[in-house]
Amino acid sequence: MIRVLRSTAVRLALLYAGVFVLSSLLLVGFLWWRTAAYLDREVDAVILADAQAIGDRLHDFGLPGAIQTINERVGRARDEHAIYLLADPALNPVAGNIDGWPLEIGRRQGWHEIQLATRDELHATRFLYVALPQGFQLLVGRDVQDRAAIRGEILHGLGWSGLIALLLAMGGGLLVRRGMLRRVDDLTRTTNAIIRGDLSCRLKVRDSTDEFDRLAHTINGMLQQIEILIDGVRGASNAVAHDLRTPLTELRGRLEALLRTRPEAEKTFSELGEAVGDLDRIIAIFKALLRLAEIDSGARLAGFKEIALAEVAAEVADLYAPVAEDKGVELSCDVPSGLRVRGDPNLLAQAIGNLLDNALKYGASPGRIDLAARRLPDGEVEIAVSDDGPGIPDGEKPRAADRFYRGARSRKIAGTGLGLSLVAAVARLHGGTLALRDAAPGLIAALTLPAGPKP
Amino acid sequence: MKILLVEDTEGVAQFVRNGLLENGHVVDHADNGRDGLFLASSARYDAIILDRMLPGGIDGLAIIESLRKTGNKTPILILSALGEIDEKIKGLRAGGDDYLTKPFAFGELLARLDALVRRAQGGDTETTLAVADLKMDLLAHKVARAGQAIPLKPREFALLEFLLRHAGQVVTRTMLLENVWEYHFDPQTNVIDVHMSKLRQKIDVQFEPPLLHTIRGVGYRLGLE
Repeated sequence: MIRVLRSTAVRLALLYAGVFVLSSLLLVGFLWWRTAAYLDREVDAVILADAQAIGDRLHDFGLPGAIQTINERVGRARDEHAIYLLADPALNPVAGNIDGWPLEIGRRQGWHEIQLATRDELHATRFLYVALPQGFQLLVGRDVQDRAAIRGEILHGLGWSGLIALLLAMGGGLLVRRGMLRRVDDLTRTTNAIIRGDLSCRLKVRDSTDEFDRLAHTINGMLQQIEILIDGVRGASNAVAHDLRTPLTELRGRLEALLRTRPEAEKTFSELGEAVGDLDRIIAIFKALLRLAEIDSGARLAGFKEIALAEVAAEVADLYAPVAEDKGVELSCDVPSGLRVRGDPNLLAQAIGNLLDNALKYGASPGRIDLAARRLPDGEVEIAVSDDGPGIPDGEKPRAADRFYRGARSRKIAGTGLGLSLVAAVARLHGGTLALRDAAPGLIAALTLPAGPKP
Repeated sequence: MKILLVEDTEGVAQFVRNGLLENGHVVDHADNGRDGLFLASSARYDAIILDRMLPGGIDGLAIIESLRKTGNKTPILILSALGEIDEKIKGLRAGGDDYLTKPFAFGELLARLDALVRRAQGGDTETTLAVADLKMDLLAHKVARAGQAIPLKPREFALLEFLLRHAGQVVTRTMLLENVWEYHFDPQTNVIDVHMSKLRQKIDVQFEPPLLHTIRGVGYRLGLE
């Protein structure tokens, strides 16, 4: 029972029923007060007024006055239901229209409702019994047989309507509970499917925009985001496993061969040197991955400040200039001096550096590389590095920034396969995007940052 | 030099200690924070190599802070497996002088240690720097070798200035990148090598003896022999 009560649906259903019954009772009570009770109050007021009037007469004119008044009222028969009885201190009738003092009343003063026999019938009669001065006792009453019948009818009706209200409340409560349980069961089923690993499940959304639909929409949005993240992590760990396995296999092979063949010292040391080189490459991949994770975690947002892009770009271009010169590549840097963005200067430098590094590695030699930045019409800032090399085939462009992705043409060139991933991560951190376009011939890698502060 | 090594991982400690001994340094080793702090505050060292995370209730940062609070200015090189930029900043703010992330090459450690000790000893007030017949006038921004003026680009000048300030010592590519360019990332291609070969062409090729030496697997050294 306690368990059942813990269910929100049951509690809501009970609450619903309770509120419904309570409001029904209030309504019925009000109706009762306005109808049956009103009739009673009416009768009481008339009886009280009669008794008051007779008492006054007794006080002003003595016993004869009171008797006269009673006889006048009985005789006039203005109200055939009116009943009077004036008795002496020994309860012997003095005046009035009933024969004797009703035994049921005895000597208890106040209001009484008794069955009085009149015209051979028992009639419900309401009396007020007051003691008057000089020991006289007065009974004033009204035959309320009709009103009692009406009251009974009303009470009967109210009872039935109360019962109906109770049934309706229970039915409504059950409906509320079922409706809620259905939505919650739907939610539970979907969530369980997700727990079992099916991340593509989505909650059912009806056409309405009620609370459950809003909740379902929110949860679906959350699931969407989780699915994207999980896919990202899954892809990344697959890539990590694959791309670390290769150099680790090489390293292991090299060391094992060394143990097996036991070459002379000179050869051994040269192989050990190579092994350290292998390890350094693996460490470089690790560092790049950790840096990617650091950027993606958003921890670097704290280092954001307003940057003069021209300075950052010029310094990076300066770093790569001798490399370009050696390759016979003409490297130009065209960044307007007023261009300012908000960001992490070190990360932006690294991103631009990676783009230049890629252009130098995969572009034409001799050739030319242009590093340019401009403010787009919508206020965003685009930093573009274009080369005149073979470019990237359209089919490979969407995957080029994936972790460890190496295009068909780039596999033979040394690199971690994380360069563009890092640029894309830096772009994401800054709220921007990385796009790869054809320069025909060559490639344009464009890093777009959101509109920064105006110059 | 007399060096204190505070490192709890035995393999790393042995690797560093042996390397330092081979290079003619004297090494005291503590494998927990409490002993480390005791040694650091009771004896004089030329430099301290300190692991960031230590057993014994006192971690690397706590040691640095309590040493600096008592006015101890011994150069401190922090070793850490925590590579995030935040961690580096925390270590340097606490009073560390340099930060090296594990895993590291011993050459990198030694070069940074030398640079730290040199920085702690020498003032930066010279107006001229020189190695053999290579002279740099910092005020006039001029470089000459054997009395012959050598025109340098601003970045080449900064590069040579750093090498001259660490004349006779090995400097690594990372140190050059951090100090001359102020970049804290790996530029993938060996851009530093290309810069160095350009510089070598200007200051070395037409002169004897060669002054700029490549140290295989570590970096560069400016000096005679």
